[in-house]
Amino acid sequence: MKKTMCASLFAVLLAPAIAAAQVQAPKGLGTEEFGMSPRELVQAIEKTEELIARCMREQGFQYIAADHNTVRAGMTADKRLPGLSEEEFVSRYGFGVSTFYTGLPPQLSTGYSPARVGLGERNVQIFRKLSPADQVAYNRALLGDDVFSTLAVALETEDLSRTGGCTRKALTENFKPDQLKASHYNPQDALINKDPRMKAAIAFWQREMKKVGFEYGHPDEIEPDLRNRLSALTEGGKLLVSKMSQDQKAALRKLQDFERLISVKSHKMHEEVLTPIEEKIQEELFSRKVQ
Amino acid sequence: MVAKRVNVLWAILGVVGGIAVGAWYMGSRIQSPAEVAARTAAPEPSAILVPVESRVLSSDIVTRGTVRFGLPQQVSIAPSTVKGGAGLISSLPRPNTNFKEGEVILSASGRPVFVLQGGAPAFRDMAPGTSGGDVRQLEEALARLGFGPGTVDGSYDQKTSAAVEHMYKKAGWDPFAPTREQRAAVATLEREWTDAARAQLAAEATRETALKAVAAARAIAEQNTRQATLDNAARVGDSRQLADARSGKSLALEAERARAAHSATAATADVATQMADRALIVLDPRQTETARAAAEAKLKVARAAQRKAKLEADLAIQTAAREAALVDERIKVAEGAVKAARLEGDRSIRAAQEQQSLAEFDVRVATERAERLASELAAARAKLGVQVPADEVVFIPSLPIRVHEVTAAVAANASGPVMSMTDNQLSIDSQLPLEAAPLVKPGMKVAIDEQALGIKATGIVETVANTPGTRGVDGYHFYLGVKVETTPVLLAGFSVRLTIPIETSRGAVTAVPTSAVSLAADGTSRVLVDRGGKQEFVTVQPGLSTGGYVEVNTPDGGLAPGQLVVVGYKTAEPAAAK
Repeated sequence: MKKTMCASLFAVLLAPAIAAAQVQAPKGLGTEEFGMSPRELVQAIEKTEELIARCMREQGFQYIAADHNTVRAGMTADKRLPGLSEEEFVSRYGFGVSTFYTGLPPQLSTGYSPARVGLGERNVQIFRKLSPADQVAYNRALLGDDVFSTLAVALETEDLSRTGGCTRKALTENFKPDQLKASHYNPQDALINKDPRMKAAIAFWQREMKKVGFEYGHPDEIEPDLRNRLSALTEGGKLLVSKMSQDQKAALRKLQDFERLISVKSHKMHEEVLTPIEEKIQEELFSRKVQ
Repeated sequence: MVAKRVNVLWAILGVVGGIAVGAWYMGSRIQSPAEVAARTAAPEPSAILVPVESRVLSSDIVTRGTVRFGLPQQVSIAPSTVKGGAGLISSLPRPNTNFKEGEVILSASGRPVFVLQGGAPAFRDMAPGTSGGDVRQLEEALARLGFGPGTVDGSYDQKTSAAVEHMYKKAGWDPFAPTREQRAAVATLEREWTDAARAQLAAEATRETALKAVAAARAIAEQNTRQATLDNAARVGDSRQLADARSGKSLALEAERARAAHSATAATADVATQMADRALIVLDPRQTETARAAAEAKLKVARAAQRKAKLEADLAIQTAAREAALVDERIKVAEGAVKAARLEGDRSIRAAQEQQSLAEFDVRVATERAERLASELAAARAKLGVQVPADEVVFIPSLPIRVHEVTAAVAANASGPVMSMTDNQLSIDSQLPLEAAPLVKPGMKVAIDEQALGIKATGIVETVANTPGTRGVDGYHFYLGVKVETTPVLLAGFSVRLTIPIETSRGAVTAVPTSAVSLAADGTSRVLVDRGGKQEFVTVQPGLSTGGYVEVNTPDGGLAPGQLVVVGYKTAEPAAAK
């Protein structure tokens, strides 16, 4: 009896604290990528770019540290094309993962390329003046194996695990080790996903997606899956479309069709079901406090 | 009762709990200005200490470059005149195939194409008797290959021919022997030379004849002249006789006259005799009439003979006088004949001499032609040795070489550019920023590496362009050419990092991070040294600064490697990032 009373008393005393903790975001958690505040994100970008430039200089390459606006432009260029709304973009090009694949490095692409935008025009021009061998070495030094994982793309997709070269080296000095892992999840998103309302929404999303033949646990799983499938098809993104066999081209077209289908459905579901709940929870988490 | 107490207790607990929660909540919300200031105040700074080091300081220029073999150069096959036409390519090398001197790089119509070292391209067929720079190159190559071409004098002789034959046979090919056309040409030359020799002999014979003709003409001319002179002399003699005749002293005329007087006298005497005889007969009655008639007849005959003698004497005198009158004309004619004979003689001599000159000219021409044909024949015979057609050898400035790109195809004509080649010397095309270019000089050492591929090598700066924007680099860079030193690593095609030490401390020096050095108020440089928690400034003399470190010297040795110096102070980290 006494034990029950003590437990009840503890519960009564702790309940408000737990409630308070659930509805408020942890102190220091920002609204931007990786849970950073806008200021922290700008500082991180500037510092990382400086380190990338230094690292590239050590490798013998010229690299102009991109300012945060340029990197931001690269981040916001994701799923954006001039004159197209996001919905129109998705209906035409899906998530832009396989639909814009050419096999060329981002600096040489002429169409949609958030990676190219995020690198900055000066760096793109520097790259284009290099010999083919130097271009390969440049991207290996700057980006490692995945030449599409530029700083802007990595920040936008919140996946630093695919980065390499000087970008990875600079990120290592600016981000925590767990943030560099593929398993890292934005604490803000983690908080939102923990919310029962979001859990229910995601379950609904899963069911609806399954009905049309797409079996994913979360919308965030789609793009990495598309990237992995594209990587497997294109030998790690190094195979030029012009040098693909007929079978490979057919497989790429199939993947592009799949991407368009799934992205349209997922985007629609996201906009109709997940986004309103996410915004509501975000509003609750990051509501401005009056002292 | 007990239940009531329990409920009271629950109520008290609830109130207490509520008060506690409220107090906790309010407590967490209410902050005093001091608390806020304390919470937001910067943490106590702590010194960041780094050890003083003993290290080699080196100021480097780091750039990138692409490794390549020497600049590709076209390999062209020159047309061979001895073959008459280009052959068809029957085998070609693959790209990246390496060739050394004396190896066959391709074959065309069953014939090899050798690669030899030489600056000038093969532009003609080389055969015994030819000479020039290309032959010298060939001889030098044969000498390097150990085939013993004899004296390297740029002249294709029998030893050269033998060396070429050796080279072909060692490579498993038949040497290029004289062609049917060459043999036919030699036979033709032999015939022409024989004809020329005969023509020379004939011309010489003609010259001898002409010589004799000249002598004969001279002799005839002389004889004719003499004859004419004699005739002239005779005419002159006659002229003298005529002159004698005019003056009455002509012997012939006198003789004729004497002969006429003698004949007249004899005829007169004969007439007188006959008259006397007739008178005797007529007067002698004993003579018959016949005798009288005979005497009469003899008298008539004597008188007729007298008249005849007189007439003949007159005719002879007239003839002698006429002859004497004709002598002048004859003398003139004789003098003209002498002149004519002389002129005729001279003309004959000149004609004979011209014939002689022509004959000598013919001899000269025939001799020259015979000699020329003899030398041509000798040359042609000499060329019948082993030769090197122009399309069977390719001269490359430096060897060994590797095939860069094959532009010709099998069964195509083996003529003109067929492939491009590079030498085996690795070079790096790179560039330097405008500010770095003046610091780099040819001959400087270069460290070559590529961390991602584990490549390491060394090189030497070969070229630094004088002006920016040349050889494919933009206008903000200078072209930098680096020669790679011997390395077993296959670097060709790779992009590598080039590190060029510009300035070095030439040995280990005492160095501290540049952030450790500060400027004192009096203008001296100093570092803050930590001595067991106590910090004190040490004045230093800074030296070479590079790579974040600066060389420091202290006059009294107050700074030693291992000692700790302050480079800054720790501050708070950002919350999300490190």
